[in-house]
Amino acid sequence: MREYIIKRIAVAIIVLYVIASLNFMIFQVFAPVDPTATILDPNFTYDMRQQLLQDYGLLEPIYLRYVKYIRNMFTWNFGYSFDSRKPIIEELSWRVPNSVLLLGVSLIGTVMLGISVGVFAGARRKSAADVIAVGAGLFADGVPTFFIQMMALLFFSYLMFLWFGFQVFPARGLTSVPAPTNPFAYMADVAWHLAMPALTLILSAFGGWALYTRNMIVEALTQDYVVTARAKGLSERTVLYRHAFRSVLPPISTMIAMSVPGIFTGAMITEYIFTWPGVGSWYIAGLNSGNFPVVQSVLFIYAILMLIANLIADLLYGVLDPRIRVGFRR
Amino acid sequence: MTPLVSKETRTILTRRIKGFLDEFFHNKIGLVGLALLFMFVGTAIFAPWLSPYDPITAPRVAGKFAVPSWLTVFPQYKEYSSTMEVRPYWEVNETSEYANIQWGRSLVVNVNMSEEPKQGTVTLTADFSYLYNMPPEAFTLSFDLSTHNITNLWYSTKISLTNPQNNSTLIWSEPYTDQNMQSSVNAESTDYWLLRKLGYLDPTTTNIATLIFPQPTKGNYTLTFELSFRPTEDATSAGATLAIKNALFYIPGRSHGILGTDFLGTDVWTQLVHGTRISLVIGLLAAAISTSIGVLLGVLAGYSGGAVDETLMRLVDILICLPVLPLLLILVKLFGKNVFYIVLFIALFGWTGLSRVIRSQVLSIREAAFVESAVAAGAGRYYVMIKHIVPNVFPIALASLVLSVPGAILAEAGLSFLGFGDPRVPTWGKMLNYAFGHGAFENFAWWWTVPPGLAITLISLTFVFMGYAIDEIVNPRLRRRR
Repeated sequence: MREYIIKRIAVAIIVLYVIASLNFMIFQVFAPVDPTATILDPNFTYDMRQQLLQDYGLLEPIYLRYVKYIRNMFTWNFGYSFDSRKPIIEELSWRVPNSVLLLGVSLIGTVMLGISVGVFAGARRKSAADVIAVGAGLFADGVPTFFIQMMALLFFSYLMFLWFGFQVFPARGLTSVPAPTNPFAYMADVAWHLAMPALTLILSAFGGWALYTRNMIVEALTQDYVVTARAKGLSERTVLYRHAFRSVLPPISTMIAMSVPGIFTGAMITEYIFTWPGVGSWYIAGLNSGNFPVVQSVLFIYAILMLIANLIADLLYGVLDPRIRVGFRR
Repeated sequence: MTPLVSKETRTILTRRIKGFLDEFFHNKIGLVGLALLFMFVGTAIFAPWLSPYDPITAPRVAGKFAVPSWLTVFPQYKEYSSTMEVRPYWEVNETSEYANIQWGRSLVVNVNMSEEPKQGTVTLTADFSYLYNMPPEAFTLSFDLSTHNITNLWYSTKISLTNPQNNSTLIWSEPYTDQNMQSSVNAESTDYWLLRKLGYLDPTTTNIATLIFPQPTKGNYTLTFELSFRPTEDATSAGATLAIKNALFYIPGRSHGILGTDFLGTDVWTQLVHGTRISLVIGLLAAAISTSIGVLLGVLAGYSGGAVDETLMRLVDILICLPVLPLLLILVKLFGKNVFYIVLFIALFGWTGLSRVIRSQVLSIREAAFVESAVAAGAGRYYVMIKHIVPNVFPIALASLVLSVPGAILAEAGLSFLGFGDPRVPTWGKMLNYAFGHGAFENFAWWWTVPPGLAITLISLTFVFMGYAIDEIVNPRLRRRR
């Protein structure tokens, strides 16, 4: 157990360190940003500029700045956003929950839909349902997330408005403007806005899951212990869920860990398309407008979220398969 | 010179490849994938012949958001005009006795008054017919006007358009001048400053096409070119030469080509066809690079063991935890939007999964008898790796190569969609990016959004299908199940 925790923490620290160093390399060494370059005041003298640079700490030698930078990153001191002039941590505190909401809902939805379709198809191998499920899975695997989302946006928001005068799902944002004040109405409003981004993300990501689960189930159903279970006279339902399904859960949870980056990638583009006020859309806006404090802090936050998701997937693996539970002695 | 492989090896190799192809050609999904691949490769090779325009210069060929021309068979699109280019054939309508007109490469009007200078007018007309019952979006009249040898003469030019109801509307005019000039005239119906200059002071008049083309719009229209001249005060003789060249009356169509046009009026079909090339190149190149890295490092880690293995696998652990898309975006931003960098970056993040699989395969191959005998016979480390290990992991690498193509294509499409693609190459992701940002939704331009998305889907499915089939043949675990 201790070994496992130490390994996890070591990987986490190294990843965060690599990201922070990369940030420093990019924004301080390769493409340094001069914060005084945008000041166009004619009364802005050379001495004032030097003073400002001194205040920002940009006149210090680079190794000292590097040490300070790493320390600041690890102590959540991300600086100020160039455009809003607010501390980044303040904006992150309401943006991160939005992203986690979208990510969490779509990850859970993807897992549930993918596994359900996979088990359903695997249990009915070579039936019409199986062929349809495999076809749908392959198609969902190949279609780009943003294309599904553009089509959904075109249909549910624009064409519906053209034909019937109302939007089935809203095109953008987290809430209506102005947002309802009643907490229940507010939650319903957020759910209404969440529906299309989350559903399209699920729809485009479940394919790989369904195919993988289906193959595992098909393989498990040919195993000896399934034959034994059937011979005992157990119902097909019990055989499927108690025997075959239980045995394929551990490799599937490895899939969770493997698919986490994909979901993150998809969620970033999703936020961009639906103007979801999370960290992904903020990151893209920051990159486009040269708002580098935002970019480097969001990259750092993304790394942390990835690490957490990977950790959860790993722990789940242990829960599902007692033999490899962390700390189990063979 | 000794041959690269011995005769026996060659026989075995030939037999293996034959067996593989035999199985592949009996796999339905694989065949579908192969057929799609042939289609895409064919499209990529014959792109310049399949599409009539150059995708880089991307000329405007019709109006904004023109619908596909085959839609005009449906009644609601029947009146959507296609692009009209009229080269006016000028006819002399009214002329002054002092002017004489010559037809050559251009229309030349010679004015020569040696005795008693007088005022005069030359009027030229050109007819054309408009075949649709829907006013055009806009029109443009362009021509080159040059004047020479002006002596003691003021002249002015004026162009108007007469519709079937016989209402004449001024579309271009130039005040009296006595200077020689060489000008390229481009009179657009939506040109704000031109309209104000012509005296359309009503601010709601932003496009004179709607004034000129009243319902029903079908009928004969007449373009009238009027040249007026008068001599300067107390001149004893006057003369001038005017030439009109390259006159063209252009009405951008509301329907065009196979897939209509985008927000600039450029051909969508051309962009789609040329996008095949870059997608194939990006997908195959990135997959080849990442597979090579994966095989190399996987074999190295698996066969070497020890510190090398530990280092490489920890590197993989770290790489798997990195947020790939944000990093790709930042790297593209840093190194510039160059398609080769994009391929390289995609490949650098894509090899981790394969190297793990290869490593675990190598761990079992390493214990096989043929490796042990090779080592016992005195083979070196690298000899064993290249001659014995790599050929045995080759099938897995092949399947992985094919299966990682769609990932690379989708990654590049995602980058382009976010506006981080190479601006110089026509890609499907870039088409979708422009469609998303420039009003494809508001104009319901499905012909601009659906084809590139479907193309990306199909080209990924091509490789998914083929990879699926190859995987089924070469992967021993899947093979047993059949």
